[in-house]
Amino acid sequence: MRKKIAETPGNVAPCAHKSAGGQDCRGIEPPGLATFGCAYEGAYFALAPVSDAVHLVHGPMTCLGSTWEFRHVGSSCAGLDKTQVGFTTDIGEMELVHGGEKKLAGAIDYAISKYQPQGVFVYETCVTALIGDDMDSVCGAAERRWNIPVVPVHAPGFIGTKNYGERLGLEAVVNHIVGTKEPEFATPYDINLIGEHNINGEMWMYKPILQEIGVRILSTFSGDGRIEKMRQAHRARLNVVVCAKSSLAIAEIMKKRWGIPYLSASFYGMREASDAIRRICRQLGDAKLIKKAEQVIAREEAKVNKALEPYRELFAGRKAVLNTGGNKSWAFAVALQDIGIEVVGVSVRKSNEEDRAKLRNILGADAVLMEKPVVEQIPLIMRTGADLLLAGGRSLYSALKKAIPFIEVSQEKTGNYCGYGGLINLARDIDLSINNPVFKLVSGDAPWEKKVMEPEQCLGRGA
Amino acid sequence: MRAYATIGNKNMQVYPIKLSQPMGATLAVLGVKGSLALAHGAVGCSSLTKIFFTRHFCDPIAIRTTAVSELAAIFDGGEGIVREAVQNFLPRVRPEVIGLFSTGLTSAKGDDLKRIANSINYPIVYAETPDFEGGLESGWAKMAAAFIEQVMKPGLNLRPDKVLLMPHVSLHPLEVEGVKDLLAEFGLEVHALPDISDSLDGHLGINQASLCQGGIAMDEIKQLGSAGLVISVGASMLPVAEAFLRKSPQALHINIPGLMGLQATDTFIGQLMRLTGREPGPRVKHWRRRHRDALIDSHFYIGRKRFILAGEPDRIVDMAAALAEAGGIITAIIASTPGKSLERSVAHRTLVGDLEDAEGMIDDCDVLISNYHGERIARRHGKIQVLRGFPILEQIGAQLKVDTLYDGGTHFLVEVANAIIAGHPH
Repeated sequence: MRKKIAETPGNVAPCAHKSAGGQDCRGIEPPGLATFGCAYEGAYFALAPVSDAVHLVHGPMTCLGSTWEFRHVGSSCAGLDKTQVGFTTDIGEMELVHGGEKKLAGAIDYAISKYQPQGVFVYETCVTALIGDDMDSVCGAAERRWNIPVVPVHAPGFIGTKNYGERLGLEAVVNHIVGTKEPEFATPYDINLIGEHNINGEMWMYKPILQEIGVRILSTFSGDGRIEKMRQAHRARLNVVVCAKSSLAIAEIMKKRWGIPYLSASFYGMREASDAIRRICRQLGDAKLIKKAEQVIAREEAKVNKALEPYRELFAGRKAVLNTGGNKSWAFAVALQDIGIEVVGVSVRKSNEEDRAKLRNILGADAVLMEKPVVEQIPLIMRTGADLLLAGGRSLYSALKKAIPFIEVSQEKTGNYCGYGGLINLARDIDLSINNPVFKLVSGDAPWEKKVMEPEQCLGRGA
Repeated sequence: MRAYATIGNKNMQVYPIKLSQPMGATLAVLGVKGSLALAHGAVGCSSLTKIFFTRHFCDPIAIRTTAVSELAAIFDGGEGIVREAVQNFLPRVRPEVIGLFSTGLTSAKGDDLKRIANSINYPIVYAETPDFEGGLESGWAKMAAAFIEQVMKPGLNLRPDKVLLMPHVSLHPLEVEGVKDLLAEFGLEVHALPDISDSLDGHLGINQASLCQGGIAMDEIKQLGSAGLVISVGASMLPVAEAFLRKSPQALHINIPGLMGLQATDTFIGQLMRLTGREPGPRVKHWRRRHRDALIDSHFYIGRKRFILAGEPDRIVDMAAALAEAGGIITAIIASTPGKSLERSVAHRTLVGDLEDAEGMIDDCDVLISNYHGERIARRHGKIQVLRGFPILEQIGAQLKVDTLYDGGTHFLVEVANAIIAGHPH
């Protein structure tokens, strides 16, 4: 295997994703117990929302076959949205023996000539890393041939977790694309959104609000993203890292390289969304902007509070267990509190010390911080009598099979719970879930399991 | 008989339908009771496969991974990490058997699964299923053959009334159940390998997430050598039947190319009648009358309609024949991988390819039958779509669908006809 992998750009920036055990976000899990996704998956999902680029997976079939079109990322792309097209070299035995560089070059040429993208991302996988294909030179040659960015993304699955891969993917963009074009004009209110994938259109729940206040989104990494916009991202006045620790590393790189300050923000839950808007405006430092923000926040909060009134009554005394990754934990915990649900347990598996402290502060002393949510969550629900589990798709059916109401909060989910409007969606979905009659119905005994025959079940004899 | 081809000078797959060998192997392990699938590869190989099938079946999927890391990829020959994986999960789950299979990464670096399995003191059945060769059908078949080769006892006395059914990977759980029921009606004791009829059929059981809760039991597999009759379905299962016959050469083997449509079902039932000297029961006979009626009722809509079918070879060749019975014109069959069954395709064009190829022929098509990935293409071109294959993400109940034998054939014709009716302005 070539040296390149050990020297990925991931090693250059500090990682904000240190866990309690001191592991970095490569966070390799033990054999037999691992449940996270791989680095390739992280890189692919981080960049796939760029809808005017071809996303070409250089590897065998599993890598693309089980990832493309598995998430709904909103795109306003005119024409063919390439997020919805799967491209792979589908490496076979021939390439294993002779190398896959020729096939890769041919695939890049085919995809560019037929689909006319603004750029190409080429994703390395375990097998192509192992056979040592020189992706850098193949991509470099294609870039010169076609005069569009052809970006090698070195995040083969075995190199680390999904989080780490997401970081490597974003770093590839920063190193190859950002800063290659100047914007037509700049404003003091230009920001980039980093780590926002616009899953189910979540970004669109708060983007219009920011725009109304007067903030301009110069570029996004990478929800509803465009190559052209990413090239200009270095002129932003502020980077807003949305809900993904792995993205902090690239905000740090951009700070060093172009002097762009950054802040972390979450738009899940009313309090968090308002707080995020306030901090963005304060950082941009314009009195008029801050004043306008307060007006919009007051209006939106009033709207949400009114819409939530009936739910708060409905949810009084209801409890939930939350198992989601990273700093989504506290964001969702706050969102649940906003609609009047008590959070009795939350996963801290992917959280760093800061997240844990923050969670303890939000939830109080009694809440359980779960280190091993997969093992702990169901018993915790049984013990606390919680009404609901919010978790990723991996827990979906293990909860439902135990007749526990479930809300999916993951990158594959179908709901949109972001921003002010998203909180109302969340309340509506929780109501649909915990108050649905099926859970009681399926938990009941079958006729042949009933201990005592009820008298009215006995059939009458004769006439 | 006609030749099939791949579309030339394309170095890649665009809108791929091909699925990998490890994914097929995973499904085969899920047809064995109390089993646990263990992918020997990087974490993504199992986490992605788990999400894929969980969403398709709307059920938890029992799969774990050896989580090969960068260092392990370089320095470990496989024994160390597989042993570590087994030691790590055994305190939590104790499977009857571990179904171990390789992935592209571990096959490429040359890990010897046989040596690894033999070095660990636990029941392990292993198969080499790298994802740089073959596909879903061959991965399933290799894992099924591994159970025959590594678990089944040789040299048992043959029983003429005992039958082993070997379904191909694309038969839905309830279709496997239907064939088992039919065989039982002919007075046979039926075992299926793999048997997903009660493991992936979508039922509400207990502890479904950690181990496979249904399927053929390991004790049953050990005794399969006494089956006097082996029925393999689909050309992809021929290697599995051959593995069986190597161990039990006296058994009688028949290969059923397909189970969809009136003629295929007639052929199958005719064979069963000759083999057992019995007739099917009155219910089967009556379903044939319904099937004939459905052919008449559906031919107004299916007749002269042009179909493109994309998916696994055994399934789509079978399906094409059933649609042709009702007068459908099969513009093209696009198979995920090469397969012997493609030789009997009734399509005008038969090729190994992807959905980009389907889009290239879309003007000659009224109805696209494919997995979920075809939806956007069909919608973009205003074509009717019927969902079949892996994965189906935006509809529920894929595992409950029955398209085979007289009853399933009836339902299939009705569903396709209704999709055509709904898709056309009146």
